[in-house]
Formats: sequence, C-alpha cells, structure tokens
Amino acid sequence: MADMIKLRGVKRYYDVGGEIVRALDGVDLTIKYNEYISIMGPSGSGKSTMMNMIGCLDSPTEGTYEFEGEKVHEMDDNQLASIRNRKIGFVFQTFNLLPKLTALRNVELPLIYANVPREDRLEKAKIALEKVSLLDRMHHKPNELSGGQRQRVAIARALVTNPSIILADEPTGNLDSKSGAEIMNVLDDLYNEGNTVILVTHEAYIAEHAHRTLHILDGKIKDDVIKNKPKTKITVLKKKTPA
Amino acid sequence: MFAFVESIRMALSAIWGNKLRAGLTTLGIVIGILAVTLMGTLISGLDRSFEKSMSFLGKDVLYIAKHEWFGDQEWWEVRNRPDLKAEYVEKIKSQSKYVKAAAPVAMRTADISRGKETAVGINMLGTTAEFLQTAFLNIDDGRFFTEGEDRSGARVIVIGYDVANLLFENENPIGQKVKMGHYVFRVIGVAEKQGKFLGMFNIDNRALIPFGTYQRLFSRRGWMRLDVKVDPEHIEEAKDDITAILRRLRGLHPGEKNDFAINQQDAFRQQYQTMKLAIGGTGIFITVLSLVVGGIGIMNIMFVSVKERTREIGVRKAIGATPGSIMQQFLLEALFICLFGGFVGVTLALGGSFMIDKYIFPSTMPITLAIISLVISSIVGILAGLAPSYKAARLDPIEALRYE
Repeated sequence: MADMIKLRGVKRYYDVGGEIVRALDGVDLTIKYNEYISIMGPSGSGKSTMMNMIGCLDSPTEGTYEFEGEKVHEMDDNQLASIRNRKIGFVFQTFNLLPKLTALRNVELPLIYANVPREDRLEKAKIALEKVSLLDRMHHKPNELSGGQRQRVAIARALVTNPSIILADEPTGNLDSKSGAEIMNVLDDLYNEGNTVILVTHEAYIAEHAHRTLHILDGKIKDDVIKNKPKTKITVLKKKTPA
Repeated sequence: MFAFVESIRMALSAIWGNKLRAGLTTLGIVIGILAVTLMGTLISGLDRSFEKSMSFLGKDVLYIAKHEWFGDQEWWEVRNRPDLKAEYVEKIKSQSKYVKAAAPVAMRTADISRGKETAVGINMLGTTAEFLQTAFLNIDDGRFFTEGEDRSGARVIVIGYDVANLLFENENPIGQKVKMGHYVFRVIGVAEKQGKFLGMFNIDNRALIPFGTYQRLFSRRGWMRLDVKVDPEHIEEAKDDITAILRRLRGLHPGEKNDFAINQQDAFRQQYQTMKLAIGGTGIFITVLSLVVGGIGIMNIMFVSVKERTREIGVRKAIGATPGSIMQQFLLEALFICLFGGFVGVTLALGGSFMIDKYIFPSTMPITLAIISLVISSIVGILAGLAPSYKAARLDPIEALRYE
C-alpha cells in the first residue's frame, strides 16, 4: 500500500534559556495506510514531540515531512490548522472536551471549523457517537459522563471528520483498567475497519495492541519492531452502556 | 461562514457564563454611553427651546436700550448713561429708510385685580400700536389698542394668556373691567399663549397698555427700550443709521463712545453658542474618559478570559481552528460585551430623557444619537478586544494544551 506519512531527517530543536534541547534529532519514518503503531519511550525521550510533529501541531526545525503528498514542513499556521482538521483525529490523555458543551456539540466542533452545514454536522456527529455506543448520552455534558465515556466522546470527535490518521496520546492514562480496556477495544475496532492508528504510551501491554512499535530515545528512533499479527481481541467483556 | 455563526454562539455563551463579570466590566461603557446620549439629548432639547425662544426676538428687530445684553464693559462705564426717550422713535423712523416699524417699550411690575382675584407681579408694558409688528404678537381674542387710544391715554388693556386664565376662569374677558391700583382698565384683548423665554421668563404673565396711558398714570422716567423692526436685507445699514441718529440726538463728539446699546438676537445666539460649547465639551470629556476607562476594563477582562480558556484554545486549534477563527471568537466576545453596555446606556438615557422632558424642558433623544452611541460602543469593544484576541490567536497549541 502507498505511503501516507514520510518523515526524512526531521529535527526539532528548542531553545530553552540559551541551551539547545534536541527533542527530535534526525528521524526517518514512513507510515503506510492501515497501520497500528505504538510509540514508546521514557519521559523526555522526545515521544511527545514526535507525536506533535506527526499531528502537525509542530513544524520541524530541519528535515521534511510529507503527509499524503502535502509538504507539512512548508506550511503556515492556517495550512497546519487545515491539515489537522481534515486528516488528523486527536485523542488526549485528559480527554480535552469543552466542559460547557454537550457530547454532541463537542463531537460536532471539528466539522464547524471544516465549514460543514449544520444538518450534515449533526448527522455525522450522531454517526460518530453511535460508533462509540454513546448515542443515548449525546445531550450530556462531560461532567455528567464517566471517564471512559468521556474518552469515547473524544474518540468520536476524532473520528467525525473521517481523518486519515488517529493519534492517541496515552488514551488510557487517566482511566481505570476496565475503562482502559474498553477504550483499547474501540481503537482496535477502528484499526480493523481500516483506519490508521498511532498510540503513544509507556505501558507495554497497551503497546502490544499495535503491530508495530517504535522505541524513542534521545530524540531518535532506537527500535522499529514489526509484528505480523497484531493482537486485536481483548479479554474484558465489552458491555453496552446502560441508558 | 458556519465558523462565524459558531463564533457568535460561543461568544454569547462565554458572556452568559460570566454574567456578573461581564455586567460589572461593562459599567464604564454604560456610563460613557449614558453621558454622551444624555448630553446629546440635552443639547438638542436646549437647541429647540432656544430656537423657540428666539422666535420671540425677530432676526430683523433691533432692541435699543441703555445697556448691552451681554456687555463686557465695566459697570462704572455704563451706569451714568442717560435714559432713552420716547421721542427718539419718531426721529429714527423718519430719518432711516431701513426702519419698518418702531415702538417704545416701558415696563414695570404691577398687580392686576378683579373682584377678589389678584394677579400679582405682572410685567406691565406700556407701548404703542406698532409693538404688534416688532414683537410678533398675536391677539387671540379681541384686538390690540390703536394709535388714537395711545394718543388719548385711553384706559384699555391687553392681557397675557395666563393673566386671562387667572382672572377670568370661565368667562370671556373682553369688555370686562380690571383694576390696577386705583385705576380701572377695560380689557380689549387677550394675547395668545407664548410660553417661557429660555425657560425662565413667563411671557404669558404680562399685560400691555398704551404708551400714552402708561406715561400719564405711572412714570415718565424709568426703564425703557425701543424696539425697531428693520429691513431684513439691510440690518447692518440700519444699525449704522440708528447709531448716527442717536449720536446726533445725544450730541456726542466723534471721539466719544456710544452711550446707548443696540441689541440683537445675535447677542443671545453668541452667548448660547458659548454655553453649548461648554456643555458639549464637558460631555465629550466625560464620555471619552469613561469610554477609555471602560475599554481598558474590557481589555483586562478579555485577557483574563483568554488566560482562563488557554486549554480550550489549545483544543480548538488541535481540531482545526485557524488563528483567524480564534481571533474572531474573542473579538466578538469583546464586541458583544460593549454592545450590551451600549444598549444599557442608551436605554438608561432614554429613561433619563423622558424625565428631563417631563420635569425640566421639552426634549427627546434623537434616534441618530442612539445609533451613533451603539456604533461608538462597538468600536470601543473591537479596539479593547484586539490585543487579547491577538494573543489568543497566536497561542502555541502545544503550550496551550499543556496549560493547567
């Protein structure tokens, strides 16, 4: 299958009080369609910067980054905003839902910035919520939902624009193990449906869901392990959320 | 487009979420807008009542008196001026071709009674038939006195509207007798209602008797004025003529100053313009001051709002909000806060202008003023919102997402 993402010699340096921090120090990476990748590494290794770079939140100091043929390293803020909107779905450790908006409005938000008419927005948002089995909770605000439910709303928000890639940064980090397993199930399902998923984690058992694991150390890819058969089924029963 | 509608929604709900804060912040704007609209209302009301008052003083009428209306001479320079004389009227009329009509006006206060009713402190004028032309006076009922009555010293009287109402509540005053001191007068006319002059002197509270009668019964000396109606095309020439005539009559040498004054409506106008400028200047000063203070308050609260919602801004950016749409959202928020303040200010001013209208003098708030006020508050909102919105738009999404 064709290459989706191509990073070549990507460096990202920060100037922290006169001292240069090499968060990424020459990264070459190719990601194809329908891969399930986990990124691992100790804190300070550069895995967050890696994630931000792939997510187009950051631009390389040096090197090139092509996303489906678009040259990300040459983009300005508006173009970056646009590519994030169209091609990337973020799932954060702390969910990052807007507290004053209902689940439905939260999921609808990316479509607003994509200039989708209201009718279409609502329909697509409902489809996305149905995928994470939260249609019955769409009028609830984040503080009326459990942690697992919040993260599922966040996943629905990431899915709603039908992005090329889903980037999940420690998606289970703030959840108990049962909710965490639930979320991993959802991500596995997305992969099995043909989506490309990237996980950032420092838990080995979470990373095992992926079929390819990148180990990052000192801003470089230390290790790139590809398993043939990713583990996609999980032991905890998937229960439907009570209404 | 949809993002714009969303920005409006978000801005409104952000304000709604901080009702008290937004309300307090907008106080400066409210005061500023209140000041500007009330001041405008006041001035437009003043303008109207001034113009109405000025219609009592014709543009083409010169008022010759001992003193200037708004003179800047020292009192000792003018106190020894000789009195005016009624004979001047004929001289002025015969010697200047620009003079259309002239009447001497003598005045004193008097009590007019009828039976048990007494009208106290009436301005009693002694004048001639030509007063009708110089004073823009209309007689509602009956007639004005004639030249013959003037010459013969007839005891006839024309009473003002309020005097008529007081003494003859439900009767026709024409032909009735009234007493002034020992003297009995026959009412021959009632002047139409004229209102107050500059909101101070009640013009309807007066009575007029023939000049001849006035001189015979009361005093030959005392306060007197000559009202001269001139050709409106040649007012300046008429003034020169009259100055020359009076100087000759007074026997003044070329080097001496005039010992009389020729007054005009213009004197009031100039005085009024000065006053208006003072009111307007104070109003604008207060307005600008409170709008600046209010605007800074809004700016401050917007910075707080941006700070509080740093994480939200990060999330929005991550899911595809452009710097422009973030800027738009916060600008709209500042704009709406100020517009709200403007609306409150205009509403309060509307109430205020009703009160002024009811208790002080007739005035209504011009609609253009309300619109201008709202435009001004919008401009303040946008100006105050610029810096905070720009800050929000420029936030680094990674930093913003990490913000606790």
